[in-house]
Amino acid sequence: MIRWGIVMLVVCGCVGYLVYSASGASEYYLTVSELRSQQPGGGDVRVAGVVQNDVRRSDGGLQVQFTEKDGTSSVLVDYKGALPDIFRPGITVVAEGRLGADNVFHARMLLAKCPSRFSTTPYTQ
Amino acid sequence: MILAYLGAGALLAGLVMGLFSAMLSFWAGWSQNVVMVQVGRRAFYATAAMLVIASVVLETALLTHDFSLAYVTEHSDLSTPIALVAAAFYGGQEGSLLYWALILGLLGSVALVASATLGLRVAAYAAGIMAAILSFFLVVLVLVASPFDVLQITPPDGLGLNPVLRDGGMLIHPPVILAGFASFAIPFSFAAAALLAGRSDAAWIAHTRRFALLAWGLQSTGLLLGMWWAYHVLGWGGYWGWDPVENVALMPWLATTAYLHSSQVQERRGRLRGWNFGLVILAFLLVVFGTFIVRSGIVPSVHTFAVSSIGPWFFGFLGACLVFSVGLLAIRGGTLKTRGEPAPAVSREGAFALQNLLLIGVVAVVLWGTILPLVSGMTGQERVVGAAYYERAAGPLFAAILVLMAAGPLVPWRHAGAPLVRALRWPAGAFALIVAVLFASGVRSLPALLGIPLGAAVAGTVLYEYFRAAMRWRRAGAGWARAVALVSRKRRRYGAYLAHLGLAVVVLGLAGSHFWQQEKDVTLQPGQQVSVAGYSLTYTGSQVRQLSDHSELIAAMQLGDRTLQPARATYASLGGQSLTHVAISSSPIADVYVVLAGTNGDGSASFRIFVNPLVTWIWSGGAVIILGVLLGNARERRFAVAPAVVRVPSTVGAS
Repeated sequence: MIRWGIVMLVVCGCVGYLVYSASGASEYYLTVSELRSQQPGGGDVRVAGVVQNDVRRSDGGLQVQFTEKDGTSSVLVDYKGALPDIFRPGITVVAEGRLGADNVFHARMLLAKCPSRFSTTPYTQ
Repeated sequence: MILAYLGAGALLAGLVMGLFSAMLSFWAGWSQNVVMVQVGRRAFYATAAMLVIASVVLETALLTHDFSLAYVTEHSDLSTPIALVAAAFYGGQEGSLLYWALILGLLGSVALVASATLGLRVAAYAAGIMAAILSFFLVVLVLVASPFDVLQITPPDGLGLNPVLRDGGMLIHPPVILAGFASFAIPFSFAAAALLAGRSDAAWIAHTRRFALLAWGLQSTGLLLGMWWAYHVLGWGGYWGWDPVENVALMPWLATTAYLHSSQVQERRGRLRGWNFGLVILAFLLVVFGTFIVRSGIVPSVHTFAVSSIGPWFFGFLGACLVFSVGLLAIRGGTLKTRGEPAPAVSREGAFALQNLLLIGVVAVVLWGTILPLVSGMTGQERVVGAAYYERAAGPLFAAILVLMAAGPLVPWRHAGAPLVRALRWPAGAFALIVAVLFASGVRSLPALLGIPLGAAVAGTVLYEYFRAAMRWRRAGAGWARAVALVSRKRRRYGAYLAHLGLAVVVLGLAGSHFWQQEKDVTLQPGQQVSVAGYSLTYTGSQVRQLSDHSELIAAMQLGDRTLQPARATYASLGGQSLTHVAISSSPIADVYVVLAGTNGDGSASFRIFVNPLVTWIWSGGAVIILGVLLGNARERRFAVAPAVVRVPSTVGAS
């Protein structure tokens, strides 16, 4: 029994170490205003906000620039890559990347909130 | 309108019956009242019947487009294909809860029919626990999230379904994974009932084995279907994104996998009793936790399900289940101690125990990653983790599990001797061979040098076991009849090996597509060619097609003698939302996966092209896993299970 206790401890220790060391890969999850209150040029973060009407596509849709906004603050986002299907002005996106010295948020990844519900908008009378 | 009253009435009647069944069953079990136990069980059947009626009513309302129901209006419209209208039953929040309850009611009834052999108390408590769980769902369905709410004005048409979800995947993935979660409530209920009745023998395991296997099979299928759907529809070239919604589906699967193995140790050797109870409880709590996370929207996810007011209800339910389970384990824990010789470390039971620890370790890793935004949000700035965290933290654990999968089946029960070392030559040989081949072909990444060879080693072990079986069969004189007899005598074992083989194939597919995926963004003029990972594609032109509610931009790409047609549909009615139609050319070696980004003014078109090696292995391995589950689930003569009528007092040692 004591032997199993040791095995259990070793496995727990390994899992703890793995979680601890891999947690270094975590990123801050910010709103646009929180991003704005930080200095540009920091590490990778994720920023959630609503896509505004100024979406400019170039390169056949592979390159896109738009303003992401929450309540009061906004930031210009630059992204190269395939866009999520539901990407359009008005939806909430989560951009992963960093704020450059040019005050433009350079996104490596763009996640759109997936409409896992059946309907498009709740029915209101 | 009449349908709404009928459905709501059925739910209300079901709730009354469910509460009645729960209270009566507990009381009758406590006082050992045979007649009242019967009545309690029948009240459970009646609850299930009410759920069937409510489901039939909701489905009828959907299929007849009865837009007086808010649920029908919000989740379907006249133009939606009829199969997807039918799927709206479980597509929305309220309907999916009803579906969950329906599956639990039906499977629970099946499980209760033959439960008398478990003894009066266990049968009564199991009925009581399942009725209590059903009652919770019915309370939510009646009070908070009723699918039978009526609109004051009946609209002429419904709102329909987001185009992203207008897909065949919607027909198969959600019902399978939901049923997989719902069905695990049955092992949980019987385990808790046995514990409540003070029984620590393996009778409940034998009784619910089919349901645990069914739950595991459905969860595996549901996960794979979800991956398949995401891969074919979403157009990001992958199938798994470590999103919280995916994670909460993976965790119960991991716990159920652990349980399927550890329960054998109790059945065979009478060990790990407390651990098995703990695992079943953990798996069930993870299901409830997952439902809470998904429905409450408290963790940032790309999937925003119909976030609604049911979050707090599920939080309360989770708390109640947690208190009940932990309290039960604390009170009865003393009866679960194993007496006798401790198990040797190098034995089948030792391998199972270690595999269990590792699987629970993976659960811990995934759980931490999932709740990190919550935990960090409480103490400071919210933080999230991405795929890198999961790969670094869970990767080594998965590798260790694969090592056990390769070695474990060859290790005998109780103790290991010299034959083990001889047998281990096979997986070790397969491992070394593949490592050498990969290394020679220039692969230097450690994860890749472990993942692929370990998958091969697991397959090697299974094939060696089948080879040994074939040898026994030849020695016995061969012939079809003998082969059938041989396999059917050990269906469980050969079914499990088949599932292992399928998982090995899945692992090879995952490793291949993960480590060797290539992607390229290109803008091409008609006639221009591009080469990705040795595949050359020629863009030949594009056309626009106008359909009733959307327009489609279709590009044509020549790949050898095949024409790929990636397309992009645009729905003007939905604010210009576009929808990718990925073009995939599959082969056993690699998938060529083309996404059309759009066209430019100068006639060129932009694409994102992926080459995903071995992806088809994931889907075909999944099919083998299902075959294994079916084989393992077939009827088999049970080996000696302790007679159910004997109550085991805490002073009696292990078998």
